Amino acid sequence: MPVYETKSRPAGLSRRKAMMAMSAGVAALAMPRLGRAADDTIRIGFPTPLTGPFAAEARDQVKCAELAVKLVNDKGGIGGRKVELLVRDDKLNAGEAATRTLELIEKDKVHAVVGALSSAVQLAVNEVTRARGVIYVSISQSDTINEVKDFSKFTFHEALNPHMTTAAVARQTLKKGMKVAHLVADYAYGHEMLRGFKRAQASIGAESVGEILHPFGAADYSTFMPRLMSMRPDVLCISNFGRDQANAIKQAVDFGIKQQMKIVVPVILHNQRLAVGADVFEGVVGGANYYWGLETQNKTAAEFNKAFRTANGGAIPTDYGAYGYSGVGSLLQAMQVAGGTDTEKVVAALEGLQYDLTKGPQHYRKCDHQSVQSVLVLESKKKSAMANENDLFAIVANDPGADEMLRSCSELGHAT
Amino acid sequence: MAVESTGEASSLSQSRRLFAVLSDHRVLVSLVALALLPWLLPSKALAVNVLIYGVVVMGYNLLFGYTGLLSFGHAAFFGTGAYLTGIAIGRWGLPWFAAVPLAIAAGTALAVLIGAISTRTRGIYFSMVTLALAQLVYYVALQASSFTGGENGLRGFTVDRIDLLGLQINFLDPVNKYYVLMAFAALALWVQSRILNSPFGAVIEAIRENEQRARACGYDVERCKLIVFMLSGAISAIGGCMSALHLSIVPLDSLHYQTSGMIVMMVLLGGARSFFGPFIGAATFLILEDVVSLWTPHWQIVVGAIFVVFVLFLPKGIWGTLLDVLPFARERR
Repeated sequence: MPVYETKSRPAGLSRRKAMMAMSAGVAALAMPRLGRAADDTIRIGFPTPLTGPFAAEARDQVKCAELAVKLVNDKGGIGGRKVELLVRDDKLNAGEAATRTLELIEKDKVHAVVGALSSAVQLAVNEVTRARGVIYVSISQSDTINEVKDFSKFTFHEALNPHMTTAAVARQTLKKGMKVAHLVADYAYGHEMLRGFKRAQASIGAESVGEILHPFGAADYSTFMPRLMSMRPDVLCISNFGRDQANAIKQAVDFGIKQQMKIVVPVILHNQRLAVGADVFEGVVGGANYYWGLETQNKTAAEFNKAFRTANGGAIPTDYGAYGYSGVGSLLQAMQVAGGTDTEKVVAALEGLQYDLTKGPQHYRKCDHQSVQSVLVLESKKKSAMANENDLFAIVANDPGADEMLRSCSELGHAT
Repeated sequence: MAVESTGEASSLSQSRRLFAVLSDHRVLVSLVALALLPWLLPSKALAVNVLIYGVVVMGYNLLFGYTGLLSFGHAAFFGTGAYLTGIAIGRWGLPWFAAVPLAIAAGTALAVLIGAISTRTRGIYFSMVTLALAQLVYYVALQASSFTGGENGLRGFTVDRIDLLGLQINFLDPVNKYYVLMAFAALALWVQSRILNSPFGAVIEAIRENEQRARACGYDVERCKLIVFMLSGAISAIGGCMSALHLSIVPLDSLHYQTSGMIVMMVLLGGARSFFGPFIGAATFLILEDVVSLWTPHWQIVVGAIFVVFVLFLPKGIWGTLLDVLPFARERR
């Protein structure tokens, strides 16, 4: 650059340079739009909270969903079309999830959406997909999504729901005349689990002696523990999720609660048990959709574990991971049956589908598209009883799936 | 060489004049820039979000940038605008063109209420009072779940079609949606520009520069603060309405203090006290979040680091710094 320029001009940016910089910026922004060409790949959107308190569970979901896609692609895809999984971080935020889902539908032109890991987030995704006639398979627990107000023919719910989970756990842990106290995370998941437990208690004849709500994401539970102990219950139900579960159980054990009562959780989480250790979780009972140890009694589970181990260097799949596999897997099976991605045909195929991907036969109930499936009840093993580092739980019960486990179609407001 | 330098000088004064014309028509120029946005950004949904947060942050800028009041509770007005739009359409069955004015009125009323309480305090106390009152609104929305959907958020009010003067617009189409919502943004821009050009606009800047002197000049500082708080809340509520129409849900998080914090971050990134800065700030923040989170789950570290760099080295934000650096834009704003 000539020297005289710096003398004859006031310091700072010239207009020309500014224009150049601006057009370079515009070009850089426009770049990603150019590289995208139309093709016949089948695209599945997968919003999940890769950041935030449920990140561990979300990562497992992604791994398993990728496995389901890989297995289909290895066999030549669907009618010769490859399947692609588009994973997006919804940041555990309903607004973010709705935006990401809009992007997936409008920009990436996905053929269906699977995912989400919170009640509020899945309802947000569902609202966006159903208005645009896009199939959505939710893989996170919720009772609300079954109800007629949020339902649409494009809405499918692969995960267990709080009603099924709590009923199965209560059948194994509560008896007539028992006193039950509740520690509940103060958001939709906790409230729905509490409602489920109370309903199960009413039919069994166990009495509630008190309930305490704690804020979502709380780190300190020490103020709740003396109050729970003073209620003198036989059973303490802790209805929370993710890191909250580990923190709450850990502090309950520190207070010596286990000497006084049994700790029960609606969903016992593989990752949280690993994070905290055997001594703390010893004897805690909870429900689950999947546990890898099922492989000794179930052929499908053995096959799923084997496929996952091969793809992930010997690691084992976890509970919420299995949802990612069966959610994407059932959708892809239905696309195989429908011979493509035509939404009407895939919906019909999903409604008629009998699938067995991780743990035994499953199907989507016609009226609310809830997956009818088995519920496991697990008890955390003590350290000395563990055969290896992944041998976390003993299977207390494996209730086979049945329509009677769900709330009836008419109760949910569906035409029967 | 001498000839060249006079040529340079005259071209500089020419561009100064051009810039002056452009800033006299800042609403129009802003709208032209915004009209191009969906074709520049990676996705239409992102462009709509930039538009929405741009409006919210612009409303906030009136209070923070121009009057010098640091509110930490603007999510309350944004959220109220969004919730009322949703409730009016979904529960009361009103059409969208009735729901939107109602929601803006509700946001404005809430701003009068919160403003009346908070503008009695100053400095850090003002920030804390706005934060506390906004959290109050958050918990009301959380508890009144039969009305607001509580933690699950408000759903069931999807607007899929807009009838305008016999014209039917498919509102689910992202491009249509953007340009319909841009009409709201145009309204907000015009109101903002009008306020800033009025004598009242000069008074609020006087209050920012020296409150005691403004008082000594005979201006009713308390009254002015309340009015600007109200106007700021009203513009933020317009953004809330747009958000409800865009997402067809209202997440509870829209009332959360993190949303308030995000609004503050956006205005600092873009440049407080500048007319178009809020849109630049919203665009920068949302694009960073969108693009960076695609390639790393640790996007917060990247966004946070960039924010720190801005606070340290570009306290006037992107747009404010640009206006300072460009030779033809100096002395004007």
